[in-house]
Amino acid sequence: MNLSIPRRVRFGMLNNVSRRILLLAVLAVPFAHVARAADVEVKVDNARIRLLPGNLPLAGYFDITNTGKSVVVLEGASSSAFHHVMMHRSVRSNGQSEMHHVDSLELAPGQSLHFEPEGLHLMLMHRTRKLAVGDQVPITLMFEGDRTQEVVFTVRGAGTQ
Amino acid sequence: MVRKIATLLAITVACALGVTGCSKDPMKWDLVNITGIMEPLAFSLTDDHGQAVTQDDYRGKVALLYFGYTHCPDVCPTTLARLSQALSTMGSDADKVRVLFVTVDPKRDTADLLKTYTDSFGPQFVGLRTDDLDRLKAFNKRYRVTFGYGKPDADGNYEVSHSSAVFIFDQQGKARLIAEATDDVPAIAHDLKQLVSGN
Repeated sequence: MNLSIPRRVRFGMLNNVSRRILLLAVLAVPFAHVARAADVEVKVDNARIRLLPGNLPLAGYFDITNTGKSVVVLEGASSSAFHHVMMHRSVRSNGQSEMHHVDSLELAPGQSLHFEPEGLHLMLMHRTRKLAVGDQVPITLMFEGDRTQEVVFTVRGAGTQ
Repeated sequence: MVRKIATLLAITVACALGVTGCSKDPMKWDLVNITGIMEPLAFSLTDDHGQAVTQDDYRGKVALLYFGYTHCPDVCPTTLARLSQALSTMGSDADKVRVLFVTVDPKRDTADLLKTYTDSFGPQFVGLRTDDLDRLKAFNKRYRVTFGYGKPDADGNYEVSHSSAVFIFDQQGKARLIAEATDDVPAIAHDLKQLVSGN
């Protein structure tokens, strides 16, 4: 939309229906911006992937904080570097370890969650390309309401946490 | 005074009876002391070079036994990374230690995959396997642990539940300590240093 056209000319030259459509569109623009701003009201730090050889599944870890004023629901993640990305939680009971699928995670305003070793992690399956220590891998976090945020993860060695 | 003598006497009797955690062992351990509680190291498996091996091949080394699988993205590499970090603080003494990674998923964990996997954690890491699930179960049971397989997904991937403990044996193959997920690198390093110096 070309907003540089003087308002007088813009409205004067349009018929009634077009004016309404244009008015709605103009009104929608600032709201669209508000919605997009809400998309990024999370802060993600310390995003890293621990590299294992071959095509073994990898774990992605990060810290996420809801910096907005409303609840944010993390529903999953995807990346062009992997065929499948899943949210998992490692659970230990009676000396046995197992993994549980996590469908979604709710973050209240101000709340932080830590994806960390032996807890929540992204399970990154089937690499689409070779990865090496030091690589930067973009992963898109997906939130309720079709909102997303891309995060760059750093690939670290097998012997790291 | 009488009470003190009585206490000393009680401790002496307890030690004579082989009660663990008392003064026969003057060392302080950060990890759980299992001396005299768990079975000594004994197995007959294949290593990551395809060679048949037993506990005798690791006599003279402090052996760290862990049951895991390579398709485990979180817990297994986290445990091995902690052990690797502990070993890196030990200088040349690290060579007196072997980490025996026994796969509980021999179907996917070939000798070759085990080799590349364990190599990525350090030269002290060895992959061990057997296709004989009964033997694998018996070996787990010897240390009072178990494993199990989840339902395969559409791509045939499945998850494996397994023990989270690291069983630690001295140079003579005697069970001495257990490291759990809650034990940090300094605790593991501290106890390994004591064990390699013959305590």
